[in-house]
Amino acid sequence: MNLSARELFVQQVREHHSGLRGFVRSLGVDPLWVDDVAQEAFIVAYNRLDEFDQSRDFGAWLRGIARNLVINERRKDARRKRILSDNLTEVLIASSSVSEEEDEEMGDLALLRLNALKECVKSLPEKSLKLLKSRYEDDNSAQDIAEAFSMNPPAVRKALERMRAALRECMEEKMALATAH
Amino acid sequence: MKPEPTGSELLQRLLLGESEGGDMTALGTAASGDADLAKCVVDELTFSELLRQALGGGGNDVEVRFEASLASASLSIEDLLGRVTEGSATSFECDQVVKHLWESPGAERQLRRDLVMEEFLCEALSAAKSEGAFLESLETRMWAETRNDRFVEDFTKRLELELLPVPPDAVEDGKIVSFSTAWGRPVAKMAAVAAALGFGAFVVAQMAAAYLAGTPSLASVVKTSSGVIWSGGASPGEDGSIRSGLYHLQSGVVSMRMASGSELTVEGPAIFEVGDDASTFVHEGIALARVSPTDLGISLRSEGLSVSESARLIGIDARTDGTTEAIVFNGEGGICLTGGGKCRELSEFEAVKADHAREKLIDVPYNPHAFSNAWALLSGVDDNLGSVNIELPGAEIASSGGKEGEVQVFVENESFRPESELEVDRVMVGEFAVAEANPGQQLQAKGELRSYLLQLWPTAEDGDEGVETSLTFDHPVVGVIFSSDRLESSDSSVGSVMAQAGEAESAGRGMDSGSDEILLSQDRRTLNFRVKKGGGQVEQVRVLVALN
Repeated sequence: MNLSARELFVQQVREHHSGLRGFVRSLGVDPLWVDDVAQEAFIVAYNRLDEFDQSRDFGAWLRGIARNLVINERRKDARRKRILSDNLTEVLIASSSVSEEEDEEMGDLALLRLNALKECVKSLPEKSLKLLKSRYEDDNSAQDIAEAFSMNPPAVRKALERMRAALRECMEEKMALATAH
Repeated sequence: MKPEPTGSELLQRLLLGESEGGDMTALGTAASGDADLAKCVVDELTFSELLRQALGGGGNDVEVRFEASLASASLSIEDLLGRVTEGSATSFECDQVVKHLWESPGAERQLRRDLVMEEFLCEALSAAKSEGAFLESLETRMWAETRNDRFVEDFTKRLELELLPVPPDAVEDGKIVSFSTAWGRPVAKMAAVAAALGFGAFVVAQMAAAYLAGTPSLASVVKTSSGVIWSGGASPGEDGSIRSGLYHLQSGVVSMRMASGSELTVEGPAIFEVGDDASTFVHEGIALARVSPTDLGISLRSEGLSVSESARLIGIDARTDGTTEAIVFNGEGGICLTGGGKCRELSEFEAVKADHAREKLIDVPYNPHAFSNAWALLSGVDDNLGSVNIELPGAEIASSGGKEGEVQVFVENESFRPESELEVDRVMVGEFAVAEANPGQQLQAKGELRSYLLQLWPTAEDGDEGVETSLTFDHPVVGVIFSSDRLESSDSSVGSVMAQAGEAESAGRGMDSGSDEILLSQDRRTLNFRVKKGGGQVEQVRVLVALN
C-alpha cells in the first residue's frame, strides 16, 4: 500500500469515525462495545483498502462492513456478544437499509452534526450540564443519577429526554444554518 | 462390527456432550429396564445442574434475572425504550421493546435515531469517547493487529503536524471545525484530565512481609529519570531508602526495588503509600511491576481491580477516574475485580479495564504507549549518544521502514537461563574494533541472562565517516553477537521471536560488511557502535547481560 493510500485512510478515519460509531450504536450494539466494533470495521477496511473502489462512498462502504460485523455478533456465544439482544439487533438491522437520508446523517454530515452538538452543549445551564455529564461522561445509569441527585429514576429519564430533545433541536438549527451558508 | 454401547457408556457420552443420533433413545430404553441405571442418570443429571449453577451459569443469577423480569413487566414502553437507549436493558426488556417495534411501524427508525443521538452525546461530553481517544485506541489496534504496518508512525507524524499552530485564516472549506482545532482540543483536554483527575488506587502488597521485617527499609530507589520532583508527604532517604509513609512524586519516573527482588516503577504525577507491612499503595500514576523469579509473589490492587496472579511484567494504568487498566507485558497473570467475584486470566499482551461504577471487567486492546516512560527506565538501557528508540514490549521487529540512523532496542527476553553454552562473537574491550568474521567464544550456561536485540538502521548517504551510537546497560554485558550465522543459531536459545522469522528475514541480518566498528567499555556496561554511512540494510546485534 503506498503512502498516499495511507494518508487517504487516516483522513477517512477522521471524517467517518463519528458517523460510524453512531451507526454501530443504532444497530443495538452495547454502548461499552461501540468503539470496539467501529474500530474493527476500520481495521477490516484498512486490510481490504485495495478492494475499495474510490469512486464509491467510503462511509457507506464502512457502514456495510460494520453491518456485517454486527450481523456476525448474533452467531457468537452469549458471553462474547457485543450486542444488547439478538432480537433487537435483528429488527434494527432490518430497518438499516441504506437510504439517502441515513447516508447524510451518518455519513458526510455526521462530523458536522457532532461539532454542532458540542456547541449546543456549551450553552446548557450548569445544573443541566451536571446531569448530562453524570450520564454521558461518568456513564451513570438513570438509576444511579437518581440516587446522586435525590430524584426518582423516571424523573431523571424525563429530564434527560427533554434535554436530548432540546439539544437535538439546537443541533438541527445549527446544521440548517451551516448548510445554508 | 462395532459393539453396541452399554448404558454407562451412553450416560458418559451424554455427560460429556458427545451424544450421537439415537444415543438418547438408546439410553432411555436401557434405563427403562434397569432401575440402577435410571437412578444413576437422575443423580448425574442433577449433579450436572448443580455444577452448572455453582459455576455461575444459574442459581442466584437466574433468580435475580427472573425477579428483574417481573419488575420489568410493569415498566412503560417509554421506560423500556429509555433503558435500551442508555444500554442498560436486559434481554427480557429488549424483547418487550422488539414487540413494540413490531406493532409500531416506523418506531424502529425513531429508536435508531435516538441511539445515534445518544452516541453523539457520549462523544460530545465524554473525554473517553473523544476523537483523540478513539484514534489513539484505533492506531494501537492497527499496530497490534496488522503487524506489518507503520500506522503508528504515520499517525504520530500527522498528529504532530496537526498540533502545529494554525494561521487564523487557514480554515478548511466546507467544514465547521478545522481538524487542527478538533485535534488540539481533545488532546489538550486529555492532558488536562490526565493531570487533574485523581488516579485510582494501586496497592503493592508484598507477600513476603515476614522476609522484610528485619530490614531497615521496605524498598529502595534504584534508578530515576531526569526531572524527578518530590513534593509534600514523605520522600526517599538520602540513601534512596523507602520507609512507610505517603509519597508524592510530582514528576519524573522512579524505579524501586523491593526487598523481595521485585521492581516497581512509578511515573509521576503519582501518589503512593508504603505501609508498615511492606505494602505499597499507589493512589496516582502509572505503575509497572517486574516480578523477580525468586519472589514469592507480588500482588497489585487498585480501587477497581486486583492482580490475583502475578505476571512477570505487569502494568497498572489508573490515570482515569472511574476506571483502572491492567496490562500484561510478559508471562501470564490473573486480574480480579476488587471485592471478589469476576476474574480474568491474562496472557502476554492482553489488557483488561475495570469499570468501577459498573463493577465490570472489560477486555481492551493492548495499548502499551502509556507505559513508554516507565518502560524506558525499566528496560535497563540508557542512550548516551545517537538516535535510540527503546521499543515497547510486543513491538514488531521489522526489516524495513525504520528511521535512518536510528537504533531500535528490543528486550527480546526479560530473563532466561541458557540450557547450553552460547557461541558469541569476540569483541575488543576498551577500544573500537572492526566487527568482522572471528572465531567466536563460548558463553557458559550459568546464571540468569537478559537478551536485547538492537537494530541499527543505515543512513542514506555514502561516506567514510560513521554514525556513532552509545548505549549503557544497567547490568554487565557478557556476550555480543553481531555475525549473521551466530545470530540465527542463537535465536531459539535466547527465546527470540526471530526464531519464527522466515529465511528472508534471517539472512544476512548481522554486521557482516566488515566496515562497522564496536567498542565495549572496560566496565562492560557501555557499547558504542560506529556504523558506516550508506550500507544496504538494517543490521542486528544481540546483547546478552548477566542479571546475577
